[in-house]
Amino acid sequence: MGNQKLYKGSLQTIILKLLAQNDKMYGYEITQKVKELTKGELKITEGALYPALHKLEAEGLLDVEVAKVGNRLRKYYKLTENGTKETANRLSEMQEFLNTMQQLVNPKFSLE
Amino acid sequence: MKLTDQHIEQLYKFTRQHFVEHYDVQTELVDHLANDIEQIWEKNPTLTFEQARDTSFKKFGVFGFMNVVEEKQKQMNKKYRKIIWSYLKQWFTLPKIILTVSSVFIFYFLFQIPHYGKYFFYSLEVFFFLFIIIRCQFLIKQQKQRVIETSKNWLLEDIIFKMASSNFIVFFCNVYNIFRLAELMHRKEFTLLISVFSVLLILVSYITLELIPKKSEELLEAQYPEYKFANN
Repeated sequence: MGNQKLYKGSLQTIILKLLAQNDKMYGYEITQKVKELTKGELKITEGALYPALHKLEAEGLLDVEVAKVGNRLRKYYKLTENGTKETANRLSEMQEFLNTMQQLVNPKFSLE
Repeated sequence: MKLTDQHIEQLYKFTRQHFVEHYDVQTELVDHLANDIEQIWEKNPTLTFEQARDTSFKKFGVFGFMNVVEEKQKQMNKKYRKIIWSYLKQWFTLPKIILTVSSVFIFYFLFQIPHYGKYFFYSLEVFFFLFIIIRCQFLIKQQKQRVIETSKNWLLEDIIFKMASSNFIVFFCNVYNIFRLAELMHRKEFTLLISVFSVLLILVSYITLELIPKKSEELLEAQYPEYKFANN
């Protein structure tokens, strides 16, 4: 079980990345998918997921669809055009972050 | 095991008991709880509905649904401000800008009439405040009635009908200061500023208390894909 705090700042990027791969998803599906992909290492808490989704929706990165599934209404989220562009930006930012962390944590020394 | 219609009803009630007032927020949480309860039952079929529900609710943490509600409210307030802004902008583009600018100058000339200018300002303010009080009361009543009729309280609808009214409380608190503005009218630049301020105030109140409530159905349909079939 890793330190959940380390993942905190990346929640929005994780959501965007998942939506880029899956067309449309609903909240519960996202929590399950993350759990499955990380083999339980990362658990998105409900109290953090929905605020993040609503924030992304307010920023115009996500669009909403509602469908009746069985006896209840289900809200699906999908990327808008802007959302697709922003996903690419955020993923490259994250990659930079990972590289920087890598350098800090595990510096490679050279003779130059 | 799947949840029955009655269970879904109970979940709506459960969210209401946990301070989720608005139907759109409730709906998302109900679906989440329902999915989770079904999964909990798969692993542990002996649990009662209430036990499974409470297990699922605990995952939201000590603050329960509060974070979700707060963020949703922030998002919707932002949306509401955007709507106001989009209407307000129209008054600064042709052809409406002609009306806006000429209103400013009409006020400016009326406020400058010797002796009577400030009385004109006072009567405008009195008329304006009376209009706001009556209109706000009407809108709040109308909203209450709609919630009773449809048994659904949508967040954006609530904001459209109530927020506008509560915004004007700020003005009521400043009535004294606003009336005192008339004392500044001996200087032309202040008179012009007061004219601009009056026109802006009238525009914002007209947009928030008249235009937007009248267009509420349209705005709600655009915001909530589920609005049409949830209300039938």
